[in-house]
Amino acid sequence: MSFNETDIVNVVIAGTAGQGVISLKRLIEFAAQKAGVEIILGAEQHGLAQREGAIISHTRYQKKATGDPRKNLNSSLICYGDADLYICIEPVESLRRGIFASNKTTFVLNERTIPPILITADLEKYPSLEKIKEILNGFSKEVYTMNATELSLKEFNRNQQANIIMLGFAIPTGKIPFIDIEYYEEVIKEWLKDPDDNIKALHLGLNKGKEIIHKKKK
Amino acid sequence: MPKKDTRFSDEKGKVLMLGNEAVVRGCLEAGVSYASQYPGTPTSDIGEYFHQILRENPEVKEYLVHHWAVNEAVATSACAGAAWTGCRSLNPMKHVGLNVASDALSVIALAGPNPGAMVIVVGADPGSLGSHQEQNERFYTWMLHLPCLEPHTPQECKDYTKLAFELSEKYDTVFEVRTSTRSAHSRGYVELGELKKGKAKGEFIRNIPKFNSLPPHSINNHVRLYERIEKIRELAPELGVNKIIPGDNKIGIITSGMPFGYTMEALDQLGLDHVPVLKLGMIYPLNYGEISKFLRDLEKVIIIEELEPFLEVKVSEITQHHKLNVEVIGQEYFPKYNEYSTGLVATSLAKIFDKTPSEQVTKAIDYFNSYKEIVPSRFPTFCAGCPERVTLYSILKATNQLENTVICGDIGCYVMSFFPPQECSDLVICMSGGLSAAIGMSTKSEQKIIAMIGDSTFFHTGMAPLAEAVGYNSNVLLIIFENSWTAMTGHQDDVLRYLIRRGFSIENICRALGVPWLRIEDSYNPKKLTRTIEEALEAKGLKVIIIKRECGLQAHRWRMSQIKDLKAQGQKVQEVAYNITGCQVCHECSRILSCPAIRRTKIDGRETMQIDDDRCIRCGVCYQICPNGAIHKSIIHALETEVPFREL
Repeated sequence: MSFNETDIVNVVIAGTAGQGVISLKRLIEFAAQKAGVEIILGAEQHGLAQREGAIISHTRYQKKATGDPRKNLNSSLICYGDADLYICIEPVESLRRGIFASNKTTFVLNERTIPPILITADLEKYPSLEKIKEILNGFSKEVYTMNATELSLKEFNRNQQANIIMLGFAIPTGKIPFIDIEYYEEVIKEWLKDPDDNIKALHLGLNKGKEIIHKKKK
Repeated sequence: MPKKDTRFSDEKGKVLMLGNEAVVRGCLEAGVSYASQYPGTPTSDIGEYFHQILRENPEVKEYLVHHWAVNEAVATSACAGAAWTGCRSLNPMKHVGLNVASDALSVIALAGPNPGAMVIVVGADPGSLGSHQEQNERFYTWMLHLPCLEPHTPQECKDYTKLAFELSEKYDTVFEVRTSTRSAHSRGYVELGELKKGKAKGEFIRNIPKFNSLPPHSINNHVRLYERIEKIRELAPELGVNKIIPGDNKIGIITSGMPFGYTMEALDQLGLDHVPVLKLGMIYPLNYGEISKFLRDLEKVIIIEELEPFLEVKVSEITQHHKLNVEVIGQEYFPKYNEYSTGLVATSLAKIFDKTPSEQVTKAIDYFNSYKEIVPSRFPTFCAGCPERVTLYSILKATNQLENTVICGDIGCYVMSFFPPQECSDLVICMSGGLSAAIGMSTKSEQKIIAMIGDSTFFHTGMAPLAEAVGYNSNVLLIIFENSWTAMTGHQDDVLRYLIRRGFSIENICRALGVPWLRIEDSYNPKKLTRTIEEALEAKGLKVIIIKRECGLQAHRWRMSQIKDLKAQGQKVQEVAYNITGCQVCHECSRILSCPAIRRTKIDGRETMQIDDDRCIRCGVCYQICPNGAIHKSIIHALETEVPFREL
C-alpha cells in the first residue's frame, strides 16, 4: 500500500532493554523532522530502561496536518491493530506486543533471541522462530527476518549496531514513508557516536532488506 | 560535525522534545532559579536535564541551582524556602512522592509561595509502568487546594509549566502541573520561546502570620487560601487551556491529559464526528459557568479519565448544584484501574453510542488473546553481575530456600526480588516500609525476619526505622545494599553521590545509632556472605549486614572505560573470560542465581548452560558457586595490568 500525506504512519519498535529501541525511535523522528513532517508524536518507555525488561516504543507521524483536529494525529500511542510496521529487535517481543498488529502490518524481525531468565531456568518455553513466524502470519503475510546481531558482530565486532541494521532492513518495506535515506544519514552524523559505522550498518540492513523483500514480493 | 543541542539554548524554532524536556524548557522560559527533587519515574529525567544544562552552560550556574533532595518532603520544603526569598522554584515528584511531600505541602499551600512562585510537577503512572502502584493522586489537588494544569502534548508541557509559574506568583498559590508516564515520555514538536534568567539572589522578609501555622494564622491562611482558589476558579475560562472541539451530538465528552488523545482517535475511528469534546487543561479548580455552558445542550456527558473518578465527581457536583438535567456517566463504562488506550476507549464508546467496534480493533484483540499464552514472561530483573542478585542467592542458601523465613522488601532495584525464580521478597510497602514492617512483625512472629534496604532508600527515610529497631532491639536482620548509586531511577548524580564525595559512611551511621551486631560483606564472595547470614540468623536482636559492592551496571561501565583508555595508551590489559564445559544442568546458576548472562542451549545435541560473553561483566560469582566445577576461568595476557572493579 502507499501512503497519502495526511495518513498517520504507525511504527512499533519492540525489543528488550539495552537493545537501542529508544535510540531507533529518536532516529526515525529526527529524520522525519528533517523531511518536513508536520506532526510527530510518539511514546517511549523510560524508567526500567535496563534490567532485561521488555521495551516497546510507538513512533507516529503525519506528513501533512489536516484542517480538522479530529482527523489529525492526537495520541502518542498506536491503536490496537493499527500498526503499519513492526521493527522487532528480539523475535518473541513481536508476539508480546502483537495487539497493535493486523493484516495491514509488515513485520521485520531480528532472529537473535534474548532468552528471559525463566527460559534459562527451564521453567517456561521459548517458541521456535518458525512458530513465531507462523503466528505472525496469522496477522499478515509480510514477515521478514534476518540475523542483525550476527551481522553486527561480524562487521563491527559488537552487537550495538543491530538496531540500525534493522532500521535499514525495514526501509525497503515502504512502511516508513516520506523519509529519504539522506535524512537518516544526516541525523546519524549529527547525533550518534561512531557515525561511519552506523551509516555502514544502515546500508548493510538496507541492502539485505532490498534483497529479501524484493525476492519475496516477486 | 555534531549538531548543537538547541532544546535548552537561546534559539528560536521548533524542536522535538519529550514532555519532561519541555517542562524544563518551560522553567527556563519562566525564569526558574531553584529546583529540588528526589528521583522517581516519570520525573527523574527533569533533574537530569537541569544537570546537563548546568554542566554545559557554566554561566547558568550564576542563577540556577538544582538539588537532588534526600527525599520528597525535604525537596518540597526546600522549594518553599527558595520561593519565600522571592525566586521561582520547581519541585518535581512521582505520584507516590506526593504522599511523602504532602505533609509539607499541606502547610506550604496555606501560606502560599509569595513573594516568589512554586510549581510542583507530579508524574502520574496509570498502569504502574514505572512504579510499585498506580494511585490516583489527583485527589490531593482538591484536598490541598493545588490548582492543577494537565498537559497532553510536549508543547502543552512547556506552555502549562510557564503559565503555572505566572499564576503561582500572581495568586500566591502553589500550582501543580500533572504529567503522566506517557505525557512525560512522549516526544513531539515544541515551539521555543525566549529564555528568561531567574533570580540569582533573594531575601526572606519576615511575615509571622503568613509563614507560621498555628491558630489564628492557620485559620486565617485557610480563609485566604479559599479566596485565592476562588479567584483562580473565576479565571479558568480565560486562561486558554480548556478547549472545546465542537459538535452537535446530544452526548458530549469531558476529558483531559492523555485520555484526550485516545478519545479523539477513538471518535474518528467510530465515525462519531459530531460529538462535542471539552478538553480540560485545568482539572482543578473547575469553573462552574464554563462547565455548565458546555453541558447546557447535552443530555448525557461522558467523563473519560484514567483511574478513580475525579473529574466525574467534580462535574457531578456542578450538575447537582446548578440542577442541570444532564446525566453524568463514565465509571460504569470505563475501568478504574490500569492505563487507557485508544482501543480501550473506542471499545467503551462503541457500547455507549451503540456502534459496531472497528473490526481492526476487535480482530487484533481476539487474535492476540488466542496466542498470548505461549509468550514467555519477560519481567525486569537484576542485571548480569548485580550484587543484589548475588545477595539473594546467599539468602536462599543460608535459609535453605527461605525455610521459616520472611523477607520484607522495599523500593529500589530489589523491589524486583519477588520475581521468579528467586522469589525473595514476601512484601513491599513503600520507601523504608520493609524495615518498619519487620519491627512490628518481630514482636509477634518467631520466624527469621530479614529486611532489605538500599543506600538511597536508607537516606530517604530508612534511618528513622533503623533507630527504632535499635531502640527496641528488634529481632530482625537488616541487609543494607550499599551499591553507591540510586540505581533504579537511572543512576542520577544525586544526593547519595554528593554524600559519597564527602566521605559519608553507612557503617559509621549504624555505629552511631548503636547497632549491636554489624558486619560488612561483599556479595562477590557469596560463600562467605552465606555464612555471615547464617550467623546473623542464629543471633538474637537486631543485626545489620552492609553489602558493600558497586552497582554492577555502573561498575562494568567504569571498568570498560578504564580498559578502553589503557588500550588507547597502547597498554596491554588482562582479559578474563568465563566459559562452561561439562555442565550437568543442575540449575544452580540459572534458578538460584539466575544470572541473565547465562543461557541454556544445546551443543552437539547435548543440553548445557553457556555464558553470553557480550553480556557477562566478569563478576566471577557463577564460577565460585558452580557445584560441578563446570565454569572455567581463563585469563589472556595474565601478566599484564589487571583492571579490577572499583572499591567503595
